[in-house]
Amino acid sequence: MNPRKKVHPALNVLYVVGLVLFFVAFMFPFAWMIISSFKTQSEILTMPPKWIFTPTFKNYVEVFEGQDFLMYMLNSFVIAVGATLAALVLGLPAAYAIARRRLPSLGFTILVARIVPGITFLIPWFMIFSRLKMVDTMPALILAHMLVTMPFVVWVMIPFFEGIPNDLIDAARVDGCTEQYAFLRVVLPISGPGIITGSIMAFVFSWNNFMFSMILSGVHTKTLPVAIFNFLSYSEVNWGGLMAASVIITLPVLVLALMTQKYIVRGLTAGAVKG
Amino acid sequence: MKGIRRSLAAGLTLVMAAGLVLTGCAGRTEEKPTTTTTPAASDPAKKPFEGVEIRFLASQHPWTDTVKKDIAEFEKQTGMKVNMEVLAEGNLTQKLTVELTAGTGTVDVFMQRPLQEAKQFEKNGWYADLNTFAKDAKKTPAEWDMNDFHKGPIQAETVNGHLVGIPLVTEQQIIYYRKDLFQEKGVKVPTTMAELEEAAKKLNDPSKDFYGIVMRGQGNPAVTQFSSFLYSMGGDFVKDGKFTMDSPEALKAFKIYGDLLGKYGPPGVLNMHWQQASALMAQGKAAMWVDANSLYLNVTAPDKSTVGDKIGFAQFPAGDKGSAPYSITSWGLSIAKSSKKQDAAWEFVKWASSKEMVLKTQAAGNPSARASAWNNPEGTKSWPKEWVEVAKKSGEIGKPSDRPLVINVGKARDLIGEIITAAIGQKDIAAIAKDRNVKLNELLAEENK
Amino acid sequence: MSRWIEKNLKWVFPAPAVIFIVVMMAFPILYTAWISLTEWSMSAVTPAKFIGLENYINLLGKDHRFWMSVWRTFYFTGLALVGETLIGLVLAVMLNRDFPGKNLLKTLFLLPMVATPVAIGMVWLLMFEPTIGYLNHFLKSLHLPQSLWLASEGSALASLVLVDIWQWTPMMALIILAGLVSMPSDPFEAAEVDGASAWQTFWHVTLPMLRPTIGMAVILRSIDALKTFDIIYSMTQGGPNYATETLNLYGYNLGFGYFQMGAASSLLMIFFAIVMGVVIFMNWARKGALS
Repeated sequence: MNPRKKVHPALNVLYVVGLVLFFVAFMFPFAWMIISSFKTQSEILTMPPKWIFTPTFKNYVEVFEGQDFLMYMLNSFVIAVGATLAALVLGLPAAYAIARRRLPSLGFTILVARIVPGITFLIPWFMIFSRLKMVDTMPALILAHMLVTMPFVVWVMIPFFEGIPNDLIDAARVDGCTEQYAFLRVVLPISGPGIITGSIMAFVFSWNNFMFSMILSGVHTKTLPVAIFNFLSYSEVNWGGLMAASVIITLPVLVLALMTQKYIVRGLTAGAVKG
Repeated sequence: MKGIRRSLAAGLTLVMAAGLVLTGCAGRTEEKPTTTTTPAASDPAKKPFEGVEIRFLASQHPWTDTVKKDIAEFEKQTGMKVNMEVLAEGNLTQKLTVELTAGTGTVDVFMQRPLQEAKQFEKNGWYADLNTFAKDAKKTPAEWDMNDFHKGPIQAETVNGHLVGIPLVTEQQIIYYRKDLFQEKGVKVPTTMAELEEAAKKLNDPSKDFYGIVMRGQGNPAVTQFSSFLYSMGGDFVKDGKFTMDSPEALKAFKIYGDLLGKYGPPGVLNMHWQQASALMAQGKAAMWVDANSLYLNVTAPDKSTVGDKIGFAQFPAGDKGSAPYSITSWGLSIAKSSKKQDAAWEFVKWASSKEMVLKTQAAGNPSARASAWNNPEGTKSWPKEWVEVAKKSGEIGKPSDRPLVINVGKARDLIGEIITAAIGQKDIAAIAKDRNVKLNELLAEENK
Repeated sequence: MSRWIEKNLKWVFPAPAVIFIVVMMAFPILYTAWISLTEWSMSAVTPAKFIGLENYINLLGKDHRFWMSVWRTFYFTGLALVGETLIGLVLAVMLNRDFPGKNLLKTLFLLPMVATPVAIGMVWLLMFEPTIGYLNHFLKSLHLPQSLWLASEGSALASLVLVDIWQWTPMMALIILAGLVSMPSDPFEAAEVDGASAWQTFWHVTLPMLRPTIGMAVILRSIDALKTFDIIYSMTQGGPNYATETLNLYGYNLGFGYFQMGAASSLLMIFFAIVMGVVIFMNWARKGALS
């Protein structure tokens, strides 16, 4: 811990002012997005901005009436949950093996999935999935998103599994259990926080994915990040609708982040702090 | 160490095995039969396409909105199911490219921009030739009437003698101007380039955040709006099989376009597409806007514009060689060659481009390519009278293209756009134009190889 | 059977994940590698023509736009990482102190990084608008010079860096903060005994101890920064006049704008090698710094 000594009062003021400035700078775009989503097109385009105005819900009505936003939302949700669960099923044992059996090169292989530029996959994947008649189906999108979610799960879980004391596993094995049994019955139950962390991160990045969804989704599986481009149409930019749609897209992940912040912080720091 | 080597070996084996399996199922596209054995329409009482599903990739466009409402009716008539997917313009091209490249018959009908895509798509073998349908009396009744379409648009949709699409929406370049301000300041509505510049100069008032003229300044998108300047000055993109972007006529046109925006245009014009430009006009921050007439609602509709009732429309001004605005086909409807349901697809295209539907879409504000719709008062009722006059006249004198007709339009537009941005930046353009013209000709030579 | 699994746990446990990765990635990568050796406009009529390394030679030897995009990619990544690390460090130190509402504040700082990039891009697009956007209005009200932001070649890439910094600085700050919190207290006590000033303590004790944490965070962040796509695609598509065309965007334009799939594929292969190289180099540097 950094023990704090007596601080000059001027420094204290500076500190508070600095913190407030940081806060305003980082929150302003969200505020602007929300405010604009309640304005009419011509109010949005008026400078200086009106801070006090009669809010209109027209933009939100337009978003939900003009397009099937509820369905897009449901699609995004199903795909993100599916890709997260599947990533857990594949990723957890892999992370365990990498952590307990010291397989750093394998860990690196999985990281390669994050290194390959996403465009590389678009045409080949479409060729495969369309031949398998899987374009515009949930399984295809979930498989594609798993390439985003699995590396997250693995990277969050490796340091977590490394941190589990050997005694715990050994104790289970002394009782005659196999290691895989110990993994299921002993390791996983105490790994709840780690799993939650990995799942949240995976969910968020799947929810936000644009490129893979763009190519593989269709009428039945369109996701929110793809749908937002519909507000930049041929004959107009509907700023109000665009901002309302942005609010709708980001709100679920923002709420999720607010509710689970301590897990996210752990997820972000998992790989880094352990080194 | 040994473990790593072993895991590497195992991994490699897997990669190769997977590669073999996968390439096996994704080999080169094989040719599909062009026509399929969909039941013939011999018995009109029976719905010939009962149960057939087609997929239609459409662009986000007012035309699409109008047609969407009537698709249920079409489905009822034919028993067909139309899976329509609406995408933003850029996303549509990307998606079409991926799907048509895969060639797995996922797309049946799609919207396309003939001037932008037709040559490339045709070269890639992605279009079905619609002549085989439109000229077949069994598949197309006489009342559909091919001759009702204007010649220019049909020309634009014809590549190497193949009819690659049916023209849906046309547009011309016009001047939008502030009637009130022109009157107040006693400025004449421009009919020549000199008057256009004069008007922009007189009305420009940057200290009040008001600008004489606004147009597209982003290089690539500006090329189409620059074309009318080029034609009116007597130039063209390509003459006798060579690019002529460094000709005296072209240089004059570049200078006019660049001076208008560079001297009397708003700040930030270099990142302006029509969206930003029209927004300024709609906010009452510009005296003139020169762009396609199809975009007029952006500056006239009361919910989008604060000056909607003060907007006038005027024909594109005359240059050294008279007024020569583009009059082009912006969207058409095509059938994918890889589609396995081409007859059903044609049934849909035929319906969407029929006289009745075209009248309907035009009445909703989408300028069509059918003479019957323009001659019917019902077809022009949604537009201001002045607008219809300008549109009709521009249609008569207009040039059918607003960009160079090469295969790689995108790259050519980028290169020409670079000259435009230089001109707006008030740089000396002669050298840049010469350099880009050499590159454009290299591009052309590459294509004709 | 179960004994066999236990004995071979090292193989059995990772197998599904590894098979998945290989199946999903091997074909695209091999396919791209093959196409990169051909000339192909994605035509269904004319098949890809094998031309050896010509695409690579053209890109590396003749294509000015390619080298500009390489430069922009590194400029974007470098500037963003420096900004994020420095501001993140300041923010972390500020947050490493108790005050009321600290947890709420920490939570709110999470938001930029989880917000959907394409949506956030649209919001910044609106704020950056030179005439109708808020940022210029704000600068004007402070009597500061205004900027054209995305509208000018000179400032567009820097504006995108600004968005990236906004998005990812909080992550850096939170990671560094976690590193600060988990530090042992002995070195600080020793420093205090030695009479070191706060600045000296920070420079000689805190920073060296933070180095592995920052190093790892920088590596992970640099992978994503090099590959930034969504934000740029939704805001400028590489314009104006290519001023924001990074490698990822140029690859996209070559493939989907120009239909030069061969050239696009060879660019993707080079791009892949570059990111891989950066990761290996940084990992090596980090390990070197540790030992």
